[in-house]
Amino acid sequence: MADITHIGSRARSKEAPRHVSGRGQYVDDLSRPRMLHACILRSPYAHARIISVRADAAMKLPGVRAVLTPADIKALSQPFKPGRYAAGLRVPIAEYASAIEKVRYAGEPIAIVAADTRAIAEDAIELIDVDYEPLPAAASIEDAVADGATPLYEELGSNVGWQGKVSYGDVDAAFARADRIVRESLKIHRYSSTPLEPFACLAEHSPERMTITCNSQSPDVIYEALSEALGLDAVRVRVPDVGGGFGQKIHLIRKYAVLTALLAVKTRRPVKWIEDRSEHMMAGGHSCEQEFDVEAAVKADGEVIGMKIRDTDDVGGSVSTLTIHFTNKLNNLFNTYTVQHLTLEGRSVLTNKCPVVPNRGIGKPGMCFVWERMMDRIAQELGLDAIAVRRRNLIPPSAFPYTTPNGNIYGSGEYDTLLDKALKNVDYDGVRQRQATQRGLVARTLSGSRGEPDKARPTLLGIGVVIGVEPGGRNAARDMAIFPKSKQMPGAGGVEGATVKIEKNGSVVFTLGSPSCGQSHETTAAQIIADVLGVSPDRISLATTYDSALSPWGVSSSNSGNNFHLYDVGAVHGAATRLREKLLTLAAHVLKEDMGRLTIEDGMVYVGRLREAGAKSAASGPAVSFAELGKIAYSNQAQMPPGFEGGLQVTYFHSHPHADPLMLPDSEGRVRAQYTFSSAAHAAVVEVDVETGRVRVVRYVIVSDNGTLINPAVVDGQIYGSAAHGISVALGEGFVYGSDGQLLTLTLLDYGKSTTLETPHIEIEHHPVPDPFTTLGQKAAGEGAAIPSPAAIASAVEDALSPFGVKVRDLPLSPERVWRLING
Amino acid sequence: MYPSEFEYFAPQTVAEAIALLARYGDDAKVLAGGQSLVPMMKLRIASPRYLIDINRIEGLSDLRRDGDRLVIGALCRHADVGASALVREVLPIMTDAAGLTADIQVRNRGTVAGSIAHADPAGDWPAVLAALDTDVTIAATSGVRTVPLSAFIVDGYTTQLEPGEIVTGLSVGIPPAHAGGAYVKFEKRAGDFAVASVAVQIALDGTTLRSVAISLGAVGPAAIRATAAEQVLQGREASESLLMDGERLVREAAQPFADTRGSVEYKRHLAGVLFRRAFAGALDRANGREISTIHM
Repeated sequence: MADITHIGSRARSKEAPRHVSGRGQYVDDLSRPRMLHACILRSPYAHARIISVRADAAMKLPGVRAVLTPADIKALSQPFKPGRYAAGLRVPIAEYASAIEKVRYAGEPIAIVAADTRAIAEDAIELIDVDYEPLPAAASIEDAVADGATPLYEELGSNVGWQGKVSYGDVDAAFARADRIVRESLKIHRYSSTPLEPFACLAEHSPERMTITCNSQSPDVIYEALSEALGLDAVRVRVPDVGGGFGQKIHLIRKYAVLTALLAVKTRRPVKWIEDRSEHMMAGGHSCEQEFDVEAAVKADGEVIGMKIRDTDDVGGSVSTLTIHFTNKLNNLFNTYTVQHLTLEGRSVLTNKCPVVPNRGIGKPGMCFVWERMMDRIAQELGLDAIAVRRRNLIPPSAFPYTTPNGNIYGSGEYDTLLDKALKNVDYDGVRQRQATQRGLVARTLSGSRGEPDKARPTLLGIGVVIGVEPGGRNAARDMAIFPKSKQMPGAGGVEGATVKIEKNGSVVFTLGSPSCGQSHETTAAQIIADVLGVSPDRISLATTYDSALSPWGVSSSNSGNNFHLYDVGAVHGAATRLREKLLTLAAHVLKEDMGRLTIEDGMVYVGRLREAGAKSAASGPAVSFAELGKIAYSNQAQMPPGFEGGLQVTYFHSHPHADPLMLPDSEGRVRAQYTFSSAAHAAVVEVDVETGRVRVVRYVIVSDNGTLINPAVVDGQIYGSAAHGISVALGEGFVYGSDGQLLTLTLLDYGKSTTLETPHIEIEHHPVPDPFTTLGQKAAGEGAAIPSPAAIASAVEDALSPFGVKVRDLPLSPERVWRLING
Repeated sequence: MYPSEFEYFAPQTVAEAIALLARYGDDAKVLAGGQSLVPMMKLRIASPRYLIDINRIEGLSDLRRDGDRLVIGALCRHADVGASALVREVLPIMTDAAGLTADIQVRNRGTVAGSIAHADPAGDWPAVLAALDTDVTIAATSGVRTVPLSAFIVDGYTTQLEPGEIVTGLSVGIPPAHAGGAYVKFEKRAGDFAVASVAVQIALDGTTLRSVAISLGAVGPAAIRATAAEQVLQGREASESLLMDGERLVREAAQPFADTRGSVEYKRHLAGVLFRRAFAGALDRANGREISTIHM
């Protein structure tokens, strides 16, 4: 590699200028000649039988070109095959792109219209006449499992779609030798990342192929869906700019790709469908509501020796993501702790609510919440300090690489140091002192007169400190750990490609195997290529966004699973390294020098270490520029070495060198659920208004180990965004359903996401501990702070309310919930 | 996402607007700021067949003093009120409301009179202006009439406005010296509708509360005057025990309904807390202390 000057720098974003100046190209910016616009009719009921659907009146509306009813959709397409997200599904259930005989959640698609304009399509939707037979809706886990509850799927017999268990170590023995068993029940609610851009698809059908341009995070899912559902042999998936993914755009979008494609086939015209905000809120996919019953076997000194967790997941109205929120808990099942004996029992309950989908960490925020709430509870019950209890259980630096009992290998980590730094940065002792002073004042205020009428605003200060791992780099075989005997292991391991090419003018273009959703992949990849090839990032650009026909995609080509840092970085680095070899081979021939004597700097190949010798330019010694080499490579074979393979481009597929052991689950259910493990300590300081229950976050400190940082500004951006989301989740954003299964939070206004005014300044310190197994020592950063932040806020609020003896068990900590906690 | 088809008119004068309203009656809607109407049309909650855009009518953007009254034209935006030095001087309670309404984009477009005509139970202006001496000016082909705000809004989203009529403006009595008011709003997050809100406007005679107006927002089908609390306070000196009585009476006056913003019990409780904080602000201002808007 050339000198490292760009890796590690806060290089200016390559993508941001176009995104913030309206020059991005999103699906909705695209138009095609003769293009039609689609709109979807959605169920107003949470649970109902579809008796009949009549579209005659809609078809007669001028400008309407096609209407597809459930009967049409059933006749023209095949159901999806249950994928790994439904690993727990053991009964064959046919799921089509729309509801066929029954609707199972309000907002489920029923019919789709293509018309000359979107406005006409929306008018047509109102003319479709559907007869429903409403059924009792199960709007909660409790309703769904109650005796006599109406099953969503008769085939399953009940609304418990899956039950199972993973167990590591000897849990019973651990519990038998415990000094104490600490029990708690915890709950996390439904929310979503609400990306700025909802789903969007543009389908174009030609005799040669179906081309679908959509904002999918996982184009392979769309590719599979179109192949399976439409029986198409030739499918091309293109992904232009994407306005945020966060997991939302991995799974359910396939339904809409199929529906849009069906219209394109039927009308023989390009069809575009853009989801609106309310559609996305009701049907675009939610995170999973999770209930936990936890028992921890502990020693008197705070050591946790065993854990039993019963997890009930409310998966909503589809079997297609039946077990992902369970299986994703395998990724951070042991968090940062040394416990060796653990049982996780799962139950997936179907309810008449929006299906659940991956969402920034999937089950991981829930798993971290369990660990970190339990650490506080154990400390309280044993009369120990909560941070000391955590320290007692941390995996020590000397133990790395560390294999968790369920098969994850943590490459590196310094968890104690993360805590030390977080405590120092947040001035933990100072906060405790202020808290003690303030509690005295508040106690006097609350017990008697409020004093001056205009001085009455008692607030309580609280602090919470938590720690969590952030797994990165997916191994999708993980989802099959609940069925280790299965022969089907879709998505096992991790392979990703990249192409890097030197153009005739000496500039560099590259292509990645996966799409970007706004995480600065172009910027980051260019920094790596710049250092490997020895050329300025200004001369490097992304050739094209994802195109399945052009992009070098592999097993893990997905903007999900915290993949980029591991797979794309490895692929780009590998491709650039090989291209450098090729470039030097050509340069050595041109300069008539031994390759080993050549150095590259800023797009020039020199003989010897010219910079060290003081040479400033090619003129001061024998040298050749990338552009001169490009000229030869593209237009003059006579100057190439004998046997030189033409072209200055390399495609390289990277696979994780340590994908094994345990790429596939063993008979004990042990599997490498993910491959890298970042970690972070979070310290939150909150003030609670005792009268209104309002929580204000006054400090938020993160000390983060994301391994070697390629662009600290990009990593900061990921941390800011994920922390802001996690804090908002903890404080009040979320979906609320009525008892009839109607979503009451259909707009962003009602959904209640925090704005910048509620979001604290997030203070970040990086403490990078390089990963010994990755290309540059890098670790993941995409899900990051969304995993521990709900737990940090819960911890801080509980601490603030400790004068009331309050236990925080549920999220969100909306003002009313906090007020109710205070007032019993 | 797209409204149903409608016909659009942009009259140049109030007379033209009235003529259109007279012609189309209930099928017509007036577009001023459009910050409630347009989202409702996009969601197809409202599907007017005729839209009468009054933004081109001159002379409706007034925000001026006329003797002892503040005159607010139908096209006066929330942001105009928020930026007005006159309003800050004579009715700082309105400055509070202008800054707490929705977000900057809405405040730049939405109008005060439009909020009154829309009569959202959780709207800020209905709550604030109910605590003041507010008149609504209404024009129709038959002439111009003036109605007190207390009579104008009859229920949630329901006013006295007849088909063919248009609100051309508001006027608000400017309080005498030694008066002060404050508007306090509890919202789940910045820019949201109120979970509950309270406006308090008082006038002092020395340390005696010469007059007290308390208006509660978002805790009933329309703004509620807490008259029992007002009566208890009037003619007395503010004391902790008196304010505790007032707080209790405010809670009793609230008639909240449960929704995603809160339960009946919580909203009722909040009304009491907000009353105390708004009263404290009103008292400060009545005593000549300049205070900025109280944030919850």
